[in-house]
Amino acid sequence: MPMRIVPAGLMTMSLMLCACSHSEGGSASGPPTTGLPSAGEMSAVPMGHVAGLTDSAALARSMPNPYGDDAQAVAAGKALYVKMNCAGCHAYDAKGNMGPDLTDSYWRYGGLPAQIYRSIHDGRAQGMPAWGAALPPREIWKLVAYIESLGGAYSVDGTPRNPQRAELVAPEVQAPSPAAASSP
Amino acid sequence: MRNFARMQSPRKSGLSLAGALLLGLLECGHPSQAADGPAAAATPPVPANNLSGATINFAPNDPAGEWRSQARDYANSRYSPLDQINSGNVAQLRVAWTFSDGTLHGHEAAPLVIGDTMYLVTPFPDMAYALDLTKPGASIKWTFKPNPSPLAIGKACCDAVTRGIAYADGKLIYNLLDDHTVAVDTKTGKEVWRIKMDNVETGATMTMAPLIVGNKVFVGNSGGEMGVQGWIAALDVGTGKELWRAYSTGSDKRVLIGADFKPFYRWMKGEDLGVSSWPAGMWKHGGASVWGWISYDPQTNLIFYGTSNPSPRVPVQRPGYNLWASTIFARDADTGMARWAYQTTPHDEWDYDAVNEDILMDLPIKGRVRKVLVHFDRNAYAYTIDRTTGEVLVAAPFAYLNWSTGFDMTTGRPIVNKDKEPKPGVKIDNLCPPDIGGKDWQPAAASPRSGLVYAGIFNLCMDLTDHEVGYIASTPYDGMEMQRQAAPGGNLGEFMAWNPATGKKMWAIKERFMTMSGALATAGDVVFYGTADGWFRAVDARSGKILWSQKLGSGVIGQPISYLGPDHRQYIAIYSGIGGVATMRVDKSMSGFPAPGGTLYVFSIHGDSVGAQSAEPAAVDDAAAPPANANQGKP
Repeated sequence: MPMRIVPAGLMTMSLMLCACSHSEGGSASGPPTTGLPSAGEMSAVPMGHVAGLTDSAALARSMPNPYGDDAQAVAAGKALYVKMNCAGCHAYDAKGNMGPDLTDSYWRYGGLPAQIYRSIHDGRAQGMPAWGAALPPREIWKLVAYIESLGGAYSVDGTPRNPQRAELVAPEVQAPSPAAASSP
Repeated sequence: MRNFARMQSPRKSGLSLAGALLLGLLECGHPSQAADGPAAAATPPVPANNLSGATINFAPNDPAGEWRSQARDYANSRYSPLDQINSGNVAQLRVAWTFSDGTLHGHEAAPLVIGDTMYLVTPFPDMAYALDLTKPGASIKWTFKPNPSPLAIGKACCDAVTRGIAYADGKLIYNLLDDHTVAVDTKTGKEVWRIKMDNVETGATMTMAPLIVGNKVFVGNSGGEMGVQGWIAALDVGTGKELWRAYSTGSDKRVLIGADFKPFYRWMKGEDLGVSSWPAGMWKHGGASVWGWISYDPQTNLIFYGTSNPSPRVPVQRPGYNLWASTIFARDADTGMARWAYQTTPHDEWDYDAVNEDILMDLPIKGRVRKVLVHFDRNAYAYTIDRTTGEVLVAAPFAYLNWSTGFDMTTGRPIVNKDKEPKPGVKIDNLCPPDIGGKDWQPAAASPRSGLVYAGIFNLCMDLTDHEVGYIASTPYDGMEMQRQAAPGGNLGEFMAWNPATGKKMWAIKERFMTMSGALATAGDVVFYGTADGWFRAVDARSGKILWSQKLGSGVIGQPISYLGPDHRQYIAIYSGIGGVATMRVDKSMSGFPAPGGTLYVFSIHGDSVGAQSAEPAAVDDAAAPPANANQGKP
């Protein structure tokens, strides 16, 4: 199902890009000083498919793993983790080797269930392959369930599942403090 | 400080020094004429205290004060003829200057010095720097940023490293992690050509240092853990045009095996063994990549190099010898045609590879001077091999091993310990050495003065559980679950001197952490190496006594070099930057393990260097001021 949504999302994006270039192309006399969209509006660009919504941590928090912590799903996810050679990069104990540690609470691309889903589905720039074409959503969610069971992932409410492993806070889910927000 | 004092006392093993000297005298009784040919004519006579009687052909005979290739010469000796720094004054070495290159992956390369310029290549993103050695502090002349694809970072098994840069004809040539070979103009720092050599999407990367001979540059790929097809290729230095490519698996046609191919041992003779020594079709993802060192013998026009482990790393999935994985090849440099091959670990079950350096020496063995290559294999056997035929002359363990119970000199094969053969789902405890071997790629150095070879080695074992794997492009075709730990003795590293004629260890210095740096031997009878916890040491080449140690910012897995500056002063240079496979968990969990870094350290006696006497703020550039004024106030 996500496969069908991707092109639609890309189309939306390219339409928006076109709109942008048109409006900017008309500003040969200098950049306009009024009528710019607010910062809030600009951050609301949808990325196209179910996991793409998770670019906004708030949306990712509304999307728990449909399998929860179901033991069968976790076991199936673990089997997939070995079968699809995930263990080759992230190690059989998932503590990382060529790829990052999946048991700690530091996540380059977000540690919420839907964010982990997206990393698996889309792949990531430093070598993580995209599995969206090979694995249906239910299998990806099982992998996510297994990774969540390792304790480093975050619950949808933004708290680490295993506080003992939460020595690092992922920037993706940390709300800026008022002090940080006010200083440039 | 306590640690430092403790490490200063060298520990000896193997022969005593007295015994070694006696042995050397006996061996020197044999006539040890250097091999014939014009290049050998320049070879000095064998010194009386040369313990093995070895001579080395130092072609292409680069200027003594320069370091123009990773190993300095075709023979891969890593020997510097400079002797200003010697066993008598090396204790006065101090930092002359340093250079941070802005990157933090493992730093495994040697700098090059050509004329008054030093050239460096960084790990990913594979930048190159030219430093002006005539300027105080060696300021940057130019920086080259090739911008390789970040995808390659996650495809490299063992950190996003490079093992160095090559030079010829006004060009630096090196490999980018994303499978391009690139040539850069040494004067301008501009790209001359860039050739795509493999597909990073499949998991192939390039990490090895090219070797240049004449108008050819030899390069190979990495990816034995990813099920790639290994290859070596020769490119034209001027244009990058591919002249030949030899694959490591497949038909004789692909492997460039023809009528001239004469392996010494019968079990490596036959047609298309690169296909038939595998289960049907598995050679296509059979690994055997070419990520180590290449050496060259000008007298026979042969290059020598080794191939990596077979893929997958689970041996029960690929019954057969798995040729030509874990194999040393001799090939004609002009045509690429194989002359002989020797598989060091048949049907490699432990990821031992054969990529380590092949040091070319001429060595008296049993009364006859033999043209040999000396090779410390990951499988923990040191080989002295006749490089004209592929015959094993000496094979002896140099590090702790239990995968093999002995060596059959008739067949040229190690005898496998059946108890240490992996089976899927069965955990084997205490298998030695582990995948990274009794020694990894870190190159040894050889001295024509002592006749010895010096190497940083490991003292490691692993607990291993194999898992069957399927080939999925772009993912590891691997299947080894392992935990590495120290072998008996508890030390993870060791630096040793080896007699390649006898297969005997002459002395050894045990190191608490892994010893994964290259070695440098000099005419001052001093040998240099570094440790994973960041100590850089100078050792007496004959006694193994530590003469000097300096703690650097990060761990040392680079290769030391020596050169003469424009001030005719001898310098020693080494990169500090831990990474590669030296960041194993047993290491990282020990106190004293350093953080990453990326700094070149350059040393001289008393730390003296170009412009050091006038090391005060440089005059502010002022176009209006005449040059004479700019120097005012400087001594």
